[in-house]
Amino acid sequence: MSESVLEVDGLVKHFPVRGIGAKGVVHAVDGVSLSIGRGEMLGLVGESGSGKSTVANCVMRLVEPTAGTIRLLGEDVTHLSRREMRARRRNVHMVFQDPYSSLDPRMTCGQIVGEPLDVQGLARGRALQERVVELFDRVGLRDELRHRYPHELSGGQRQRIGLARALAVSPALLVADEPVSALDVSVQASILNLLRDLQEELGFSCLFITHDLATVEYLCDRVAVMYLGKIVELAPTAELFAAPKHPYTQALLSAAVVADPDVQRSRSRVVLEGDVPSPLTPPSGCRFRTRCPLEPRSAPASHEEEPPLIDVGGGHHVACHLVRPGADAPQLLDPAELAG
Amino acid sequence: MSLLRVEDLSVRFETDDGVVHAVDRLSFELGEREVLGVVGESGCGKSVSFMSLLRLLPETAKVDGSARFGDADLLRMPTSQLRRVRGREIAFVFQEPMTSLNPAFKVGNQIGEVLQRHLGLSRSAARRRTIELLDLVRIPAPDRRVDEYPHQLSGGMRQRVMIAMALACDPKILIADEPTTALDVTIQAGILDLMRDIRERLGTSIVLITHNLGVVADIADRVIVMYAGRKVEEAPVRELFASPQHPYTNGLLGAIPRPRTVATRERLREIPGRVPSLAELPTGCAFAPRCPRADDRTRSQVPELREVRPHHLVACFHPGPDEEEAVA
Amino acid sequence: MSFVDTTAAALSPRARRRRILRRRLLRRPLALVGLVVATAFILGAILAPWIAPYSAGATDFNAILAHSSSKHLLGTDELGRDVFSRILWGARASIEAGVLATLLAMAFAVPIGIVAGYYRGWVDAVIARLTDVLLAFPFLILAVGLAAILGPSLTNATIALGVGAAPALIRIARGEALALREEDYVRAAIANGAGDVRILTRHVLPNMLSTLIVQATVAIPTAIIGEAVLSFLGLGVQPPTPSWGVMLSDAQSYLSQAPRLAVYPGIAIFLCSLSFNLLGDGLRDILDPRTTR
Repeated sequence: MSESVLEVDGLVKHFPVRGIGAKGVVHAVDGVSLSIGRGEMLGLVGESGSGKSTVANCVMRLVEPTAGTIRLLGEDVTHLSRREMRARRRNVHMVFQDPYSSLDPRMTCGQIVGEPLDVQGLARGRALQERVVELFDRVGLRDELRHRYPHELSGGQRQRIGLARALAVSPALLVADEPVSALDVSVQASILNLLRDLQEELGFSCLFITHDLATVEYLCDRVAVMYLGKIVELAPTAELFAAPKHPYTQALLSAAVVADPDVQRSRSRVVLEGDVPSPLTPPSGCRFRTRCPLEPRSAPASHEEEPPLIDVGGGHHVACHLVRPGADAPQLLDPAELAG
Repeated sequence: MSLLRVEDLSVRFETDDGVVHAVDRLSFELGEREVLGVVGESGCGKSVSFMSLLRLLPETAKVDGSARFGDADLLRMPTSQLRRVRGREIAFVFQEPMTSLNPAFKVGNQIGEVLQRHLGLSRSAARRRTIELLDLVRIPAPDRRVDEYPHQLSGGMRQRVMIAMALACDPKILIADEPTTALDVTIQAGILDLMRDIRERLGTSIVLITHNLGVVADIADRVIVMYAGRKVEEAPVRELFASPQHPYTNGLLGAIPRPRTVATRERLREIPGRVPSLAELPTGCAFAPRCPRADDRTRSQVPELREVRPHHLVACFHPGPDEEEAVA
Repeated sequence: MSFVDTTAAALSPRARRRRILRRRLLRRPLALVGLVVATAFILGAILAPWIAPYSAGATDFNAILAHSSSKHLLGTDELGRDVFSRILWGARASIEAGVLATLLAMAFAVPIGIVAGYYRGWVDAVIARLTDVLLAFPFLILAVGLAAILGPSLTNATIALGVGAAPALIRIARGEALALREEDYVRAAIANGAGDVRILTRHVLPNMLSTLIVQATVAIPTAIIGEAVLSFLGLGVQPPTPSWGVMLSDAQSYLSQAPRLAVYPGIAIFLCSLSFNLLGDGLRDILDPRTTR
């Protein structure tokens, strides 16, 4: 039976803004629902201001949600205190984006990787050391690096340490927040391969957050696209890339550059006008309407009502007034143009 | 007609831990209305090379070689003359628009300053020209934006402002160092469109320094691939992607998820090892320790650039595209 | 560009670290000088009973205001007391006050600052405002005021100096904690399930250590000068116990005749403070694992 490892329902996170003159609320996440099954990798894609990192922080309970629920392995962890959360932290861990600031510069790499085990009381002394050695080996690092300090390692090696640390407690869910964005291209490949291998070996589920579409397409089973705090589309990967339905998804896919000049230069692009609206004052109704090329068709509904995320068949969910189940979604471009 | 001709450019840094050879005998030409892509990962010397041309490097840098621009050598010009080149004939755009723009001054003032300084325009003339420039880089409502501060603009807009500032004096060459790396995908696309536009309408040549092969595929005419301070491959863009010769280039192309790898879900190409320390380069080919084609010859001799296909140079003893090479 | 440390292969991590620290110290002549001179003063203070040629109060009315001679290295003062000995004995008061006051201030300020910076909220608001109030008073005014209230004695002077130095240290500790709590590795520690105590002691405090050490070594000379001021004003050390400040005070009346009586303690204060300053500067660099030299 495949139960959900993670179930997020109606997640909302608002940050109050206090300042001279400026007052208000940043609507970082405004009603996100998703679920991840066992062994599944869900990609969460969005540009800056989309709220994807905030979702990660909420799932990790590094931050307490304003509203909504988060169920980890079936248990509601939304409002647990730090102390109560502690035991649950065996089930979820995180790989951070910045390989430089995610490792304590004053600890050796071995200590960093061993710390979760120590804190959780899962191993001590010699047993702990053995487990650390095993983890180093798993992530492809030489044993002697256990005694080195993070600054002595390269960016790629540091991310491996981050991975080893996150996997030390054998969590059911791994949250990876842009784990390769700060690395060189050739190094990214090795970390992505490693992540894939480990997932196959160990069977953990993964919430993979990124802005890079090519990576998501390559690694993930399902993809959720976020815009200004909401999910606008959620579908199995192949389906999303082959037939995206939401205009934002289409624009995003068309904007991503492909490393092939013939293909890249023969593509057309959906140009989005204007800037992303401020999360302090998101547009009423559909948040994407201020930049949507199809806005004339969706008005006035899109100004007044927020489009709900509906299932249009085959596990494909879209939040758009112009997309109905059964009917074809409006195409901004020829689908062939969208593909890389 | 080549606008800029660089020959044997070398940059050394003298540090406590020895001499660091950041750039080693780099030679290339840049033509008119051309977009030259310079590709490489961190530490390959791509940024340092171009910064050295305009003497933007710290005192510890020692630069050799020649860089002919017009009928003068940039590296040998007196500083006073170079100052007239900088910003006016050769302009630079950096990666982080927030740190390149002065947060304390309005955007219009910053661009205006360039115009007044270099072109001697009056305040009002400078303002008019500034609004024109903001319009040129497709910033909406330029007459309002001209009075705004950098923090009031989004990242993409700021980058456009930087480009506007760079274009203020109608330079012959625009050097853009990772101009879109810090930007979102949709914004990046807009900036690339803008650069294409600039080349078409103004005839400016562009040097685009990046680690992103997709960006290069989008707008570059020719590409230079750099590794450990050396140029290892140079070719027209389509040729480079269709028939990459150097194993490093092959490695880079194999490392990004592209349509084929996605479809087959095969492993991404990994390049084992890491970039060598520029203070202790190996003897022989700098890439040899990580290269699947390495042999005794490559480990002892440094390969020189040769033309292996029309207009296609590579510095390798075993050039050629990968035939499904052994994966990681 | 990162340069891999190729030297140590077979040493234990501890020994490696010691060797690296030693090497870094040796590459910083100013810090070395600071270390040597500061150590000299500290040793001089500790060993005064044994190495001072004369006791602190030994007078010799036959040799008043004498110049340097073989019997009196730096001459004598208006009561015939050996200046050199009094400098050594005086070092005790200065170093004691300087070091103890600073330690007292740190012991008090660091936990408060950390709590304020890490937890924020109303706790931070209260602490920050109180600190601001105290910081409105110049350090010496505060110290003098407190010493006057507490009554003149070296112990009270030390306490007053400690309290006077605390607000600035609270602010620094608070600032560090504030910055460190945002670091990803602190978030990672929370993700591990670590409790606050563990995070503060294992992650926050060690990473502010070098800043604190530097601040301490800079606070010491301030306290030394503070002690000199307090003693000068009669609020610190009481006669006949010598102190550099007292010596300065006494030298006032003899400035025209024997300016050297002011110069010697003055130089002592100067050198002692400077050496701690240089040492602190160097230490900050040396202790940071990321330093490459």
